[in-house]
Amino acid sequence: MKPVFKWVRVLQISGLAERTYILRFEEPESAAVIQPGQFCMISPLPGSSNVFLPRPFSYYRVISRSVIEILFRTFGRATRWMANLAPGDEIGVFGPLGNTFNLAPGPGNAILVGGGIGIPPIVMLAERLSALGRLKRLDLVYGESTASRVIYLAPVLPASVRCHLTTEDGSAGQRGLVTAAVESILKECRDPLAVYTCGPKSMMGALSRILDPEQVTLFETSCEENMACGMGICQGCVIPVRTGGDSVRYLRCCAEGPVFNGFEVQWA
Amino acid sequence: MGLDLTVNCLGLPFQNPVLVASGTFGYGDEYYEVMPFSELGGLVTKTITAARREGNPPPRIVETDSGMLNSIGLANVGLRAFLEEKLPWIAAHAGQARVVVNVAGFSVEEFIEVGTAVGGAKGVDALEVNLGCPNVRAGYIHFGADELSVRQVVAGILKNVRLPLIAKLSPNVTDIGALAEAAVDAGADGLSLINTLPGMKIDPLKRRPVISMGFGGLSGPAIRPVGVACVYKVYQQMQRMEAPVPIVGIGGIASGRDALEYILAGASLVQVGTANFLHPRAAANVLQEIAAFCESEGVAKITDLVGLAHER
Repeated sequence: MKPVFKWVRVLQISGLAERTYILRFEEPESAAVIQPGQFCMISPLPGSSNVFLPRPFSYYRVISRSVIEILFRTFGRATRWMANLAPGDEIGVFGPLGNTFNLAPGPGNAILVGGGIGIPPIVMLAERLSALGRLKRLDLVYGESTASRVIYLAPVLPASVRCHLTTEDGSAGQRGLVTAAVESILKECRDPLAVYTCGPKSMMGALSRILDPEQVTLFETSCEENMACGMGICQGCVIPVRTGGDSVRYLRCCAEGPVFNGFEVQWA
Repeated sequence: MGLDLTVNCLGLPFQNPVLVASGTFGYGDEYYEVMPFSELGGLVTKTITAARREGNPPPRIVETDSGMLNSIGLANVGLRAFLEEKLPWIAAHAGQARVVVNVAGFSVEEFIEVGTAVGGAKGVDALEVNLGCPNVRAGYIHFGADELSVRQVVAGILKNVRLPLIAKLSPNVTDIGALAEAAVDAGADGLSLINTLPGMKIDPLKRRPVISMGFGGLSGPAIRPVGVACVYKVYQQMQRMEAPVPIVGIGGIASGRDALEYILAGASLVQVGTANFLHPRAAANVLQEIAAFCESEGVAKITDLVGLAHER
């Protein structure tokens, strides 16, 4: 489907964890076709805010065929504007945009890794892979800095997903970084593996260094960069990607991505 | 008696005065399903250089108050791929819209090479010359900052090309009027005003500029008063010249009223730029609002408004 720009009304906005909110709106046209990994651009009604450019957000969940949920954490001007929205307020939504995660990873195991506010597309992917039912085993590793930021995912995750929580300070789940949790799962798994991740650049870069391309046949990373248009026009959001040998090309996060082969992205 | 939005200038008929600006509409194809440029006065393509350019490292863009900074680095497919892969598609989908190809070079010779090749291709109605490009041989000062470079580029291309040539000038100069005069003297058929203004944003936590290249070009509503003033000033200058040329107004246009400011200051055509990123149909909305304004104000022809803000 081609992306559509719509002015929609906020149905609900509520806090889920420290600085972390869920935004719900109705948009049946895109709700019917959204794939895990895709995103939309959200913008304020002209003159209603000092936010100028639209901002990209991965879809979190689609519920009841027409209602879309976005999960966000306040960092700057736009997310603070969003946190102050109220039901009935109008927002611009442009989507669905971007490519999707590979939904046919093969018959083995998959590990999904969400770091901090990178968790939304990972949850949608877990739902979808679980529903497709082709995997032997599906692990989801969710890392946060501290317990107050942890989103309670149990109600939205399928029962078949093995969930592992880590926090950097040990205030919830296992103490440490997601990489340690992923390494211990890797030791248990002998089958071919797919690894999917979305989170801070440093986390995804660290994963790319501990994963063995011999064992991991698919390594997909959902990336982020400052965006303006969201559909490949402005060329503002490029990601450096190695395309054979030492040559690096700048691929547009919004058009060729946001999902890239994690072994090819130049992380530092 | 319908409202007449057509504009005849640069020796070309424009079905309406609203174009989309270079670098904000790609090669017309990405947005086509959402915003077919055939509805507009014209498309100005992304800047074309001789060789394909990967562009600058990220981050390339950042929001500022009422605008944005960008340093894309003229990323483009290069001359040959543009002529072979992009231009035929653009020409086939233009309808009554005019196709303006924006060209640049890092030397006078490259400008002439690209301008000549594009100017001889089928499906191109006009050239827009991006004089904001840095001159590698002159300490990276942009071509538009120096009258001699402006003359060399404009006259050099026109020696080989019969199409109308629009010189796109940067506001980052002491006297834009003198540069406009140099471009017209050298044969330019029109002037596009303005390109972005240099700007910088620094992240206090990282103690570094946000944009990888440090400086970026500022665009959006923040620069509109600068653009309107430049158009006003150059329009005045044109009135003193023997053969004045039309002006294309650019800079922070997001509504019909914004466009009308430029038209009243002296622009015959306008380009919508950064606003395309906020809403893919921004240019169509600008056009609709211009029409609504004219109808409610009893204006029969859009060209009747050009330059009306000047003292009479």
